[in-house]
Amino acid sequence: MDRTWWTKFITILIITLGSIWFLVPSYYSFFKLPREDRNNLKLLQEKLPRWSPPARYRLNLGLDLQGGIHMVMRVDTKTALQKRTERRAIQIANYIREAKLGEVTADANPERLEVTLTAKDPSTMDAIEKDVVARFEDFSKVRRDGNKLVLALKENQVNRFKEESVDQALLVIRQRIDKWGVAEADIRKQGNDSIQISLPGYQDPEKAKELIGTTAQLEFRMVDDSSDFFRTVVQKNPPPPDSGIHLTTAEGFPQLEAKDRETLLAYFKGKELPADRQVLLECVASKVKKDACESYRTYLVEKNVPLTGESLNGADASYDQFGEPEVNLNFDAQGGRDFGTLTEKNVGRRMAIVLDDNVQSAPRINEKIPNGRARITMGRGFTKTRQEQLEDAKLLALVLKAGALPAPVTTGEIRQVGATLGPELIRKGSLAAIVGLALVVFFMAMYYKFAGLIADVALILNGMLILAFLAIFNATLTLPGIAGFVLTLGIAVDANVLINERIREELSHGKSPRAAVDQGYDRAFWTIFDAHVTTLIAGFILFFTGTGPIRGFATALVIGLVASLFTSIVVTRVITTYFIHGRGAQTVSV
Amino acid sequence: MRIIKKKTNIDFIGKRRPALFISSILNLSIIVGIAIFGFNFGVDFAGGTVVELKFAHPISAEEIRKRAQSAGLHDVSVQGIGSAAENSFLLRLGGVTQLTKETAAQAEAAIRAMGPLKTFYADLDNGLINFRSEKKLDPAEIKKAVEATGTGVNEVRALGESQAGGFDYQVVSSGMADKISSAMRGNQKEADFLQQRVDYVGPQVGKQLRNKGVMSLLYAMVAILIYVAFRFDFKFGPGALVAMVHDVIMVSGYFLVTRREFNLTSIAVLLTVIGYSINDTIVVYDRIREEMVRYKGKPLPEIINIAVNDTLSRTILTSGVTALSLIGLLIFGVGEIWDFAMAMLVGIIVGTYSSVYIASPLTIWLDERAAAKERAERGGMKATVA
Repeated sequence: MDRTWWTKFITILIITLGSIWFLVPSYYSFFKLPREDRNNLKLLQEKLPRWSPPARYRLNLGLDLQGGIHMVMRVDTKTALQKRTERRAIQIANYIREAKLGEVTADANPERLEVTLTAKDPSTMDAIEKDVVARFEDFSKVRRDGNKLVLALKENQVNRFKEESVDQALLVIRQRIDKWGVAEADIRKQGNDSIQISLPGYQDPEKAKELIGTTAQLEFRMVDDSSDFFRTVVQKNPPPPDSGIHLTTAEGFPQLEAKDRETLLAYFKGKELPADRQVLLECVASKVKKDACESYRTYLVEKNVPLTGESLNGADASYDQFGEPEVNLNFDAQGGRDFGTLTEKNVGRRMAIVLDDNVQSAPRINEKIPNGRARITMGRGFTKTRQEQLEDAKLLALVLKAGALPAPVTTGEIRQVGATLGPELIRKGSLAAIVGLALVVFFMAMYYKFAGLIADVALILNGMLILAFLAIFNATLTLPGIAGFVLTLGIAVDANVLINERIREELSHGKSPRAAVDQGYDRAFWTIFDAHVTTLIAGFILFFTGTGPIRGFATALVIGLVASLFTSIVVTRVITTYFIHGRGAQTVSV
Repeated sequence: MRIIKKKTNIDFIGKRRPALFISSILNLSIIVGIAIFGFNFGVDFAGGTVVELKFAHPISAEEIRKRAQSAGLHDVSVQGIGSAAENSFLLRLGGVTQLTKETAAQAEAAIRAMGPLKTFYADLDNGLINFRSEKKLDPAEIKKAVEATGTGVNEVRALGESQAGGFDYQVVSSGMADKISSAMRGNQKEADFLQQRVDYVGPQVGKQLRNKGVMSLLYAMVAILIYVAFRFDFKFGPGALVAMVHDVIMVSGYFLVTRREFNLTSIAVLLTVIGYSINDTIVVYDRIREEMVRYKGKPLPEIINIAVNDTLSRTILTSGVTALSLIGLLIFGVGEIWDFAMAMLVGIIVGTYSSVYIASPLTIWLDERAAAKERAERGGMKATVA
């Protein structure tokens, strides 16, 4: 045995042992955990032996196999844009009236996203046009006929607004799902107007409707910092030490903080709150995981709602004159008056901005804000960089807009699999896979004798590699994935058929076993390679265009084919070479 | 052990004309059939709602249909799945939401009874009703009024006052799946069935998925073709392409003739067939190339005949082994997975056929045409010289 053989042999050994090692978490999750705890990574981690890979490298089951809900929500950006055009028409008309530029009527054409201004006195129109075009930057001039000026929403504004509408809907949906405490919920944008939601193991479709059932409620409510409530409550009823609830202070105000939302809410159950007060939570964003909450903090908030998102015209993140990020709020006429009274009465207190009962921010009121235009500066805390502060400002603006101008959301797709169907599919799927594999293994051994057995060893290693890599890549195993797994092994063994046929052919030409094996592998290599590449191309395209279960099929196919190049060619050759060169076999059993 | 004991010497090339003729007829009739009858699109592509119910006791499809009808659901198709003992049924409804032309008209009448309207528009695709009322209405009242007409309402949204005067409202109707569930339940206290699975796809989403599916097939064919052209001589390209198209059409024919559901899984099968069926073609092409070097000067048809005969046993074996792996799926697979395995089997068989009878003969035909053209050109040159 020469050195290259040993190198190959050791590589194969390492890969084999490695793939077995990586299957350890999957083994524990399927055979050592009760079924309902399969998604409980914490529990799995505790059960795993210390030498095992981390729990997150366990084979995920797709929604079709473990039950759960997959939804696609479509954001009706068209309606949102039309409403916005109408709103802007009113704002433009109001501006012209307030600036005393002249008397106009503003008509919105929601279908074309246009606003037509008609001046009573044509001579005022020039000045109006100049001012309005300069001030309302999201509109551009379409045409001007005498005293009529037609403005249209700019193309880039339309796109930005659509994007924002989806982001707003995403934010609201995320917050609502966070409340349900679904492990492994996956929420993401899909295309430019849809949101994809996967809730593995989740079974309540009625509750899923809450996501779009009601529009998000944005409220402005006063925070009660006068009573030192949280400090007293903790002194009177110390929370159990394992709950993780502890007292902190933010900007000098005491708050309770805990990692788990439910524990925190459960702690307040039965505790007496001051009259007309309510405990609301704020999500402290995780620095590690995007869009996840690191922990939750409490606020004692007045029950009275003096102002809602309906009075808000808009919100934007920008920089103030000192270059500090800030959020600008813009109320309508009545809202502006209400906000003026509210701020006048409560100078020095904190005002909570609440979306769907989640505190988003609680800025301090520094002075009376009379004109309906408020600024929230992001200056609190010196731990954040300016970039982070700008991100915060943008997020807050998004929250405000989500409450003020919600885009209607409709259901595009719901796929729900009940919990009882999954285990049955797994049972049938594995049975089908085992039967298919057994037939192939049996056939190879019968037809090619010893060479067939070697191919079978490679085939089994290939199967293991597919499962191991699915686990490593955190891919999901779906029902079509199982079909893909079986089919891939059927395709993988084709390579050995090609090689063995070639060896037979070379032997029939009177070549020595050694030469026949070498030539068989060399000549068949490119054929096998080409055949694998074409199927891989199809597999990759399926991977990138497919979703859900179908993607699971493509994943199994792609991993299996790549692994097959290794197992069918390299592994079988190393074993065959051992018998021919090493043991000096004079015959080759093909 | 051998499948083909002796070396074969079948004249594949001699039979290419009848083979090409029959294949062309078959392909054309499938295309015409698709144009006339269309596929039996599943919810993925057609939109609609499918609910899988498992009953606790034996029940007939007829009984289920009756229950649906008595609750006012008329166009429900009921289909048993799995073995009879499982009491599992698929119920399929065309609509996605409870809003149809009739129910929308009823809802309109109910809303108009509450006060004069300025506009009314029912978006049946999305299950939405948008209307503008002259006076302010109570969303809860609207919900009550619409639900009284039999359309489930998810939510009524007040969209605010319009600047043109009037108040905008949006009624979001409930999905069909709820209606099936409540219809099946009738007045039972405890439902005698389990809702195993719900698939609900909006019509616009269905259209998107369909377009995406077709595009992915085209991308795959183009990409594989580029690879084949790059790895082999350019003249092999057309043969490979025609064989690929042939296989896709034949497998589509399977879905057309059997009326099995054509859905996302079917697209996955077609893509895999495109990638896999070319494998046999590659085996033959590789051999042709090899023989071309060995027997320089021999006419191409003869070389191809030798190559196809020499590789015949492995062409059959590779396809056979892959088909063998599918048998388990055919025995134990239900629904989509059984369809997947069956269509894949069809793909493997037609793929093997096409690599022998279509890809190679086309290569000859192109080669002959090129030679004839060359001859004609040379002849023309001679003529000018003379």
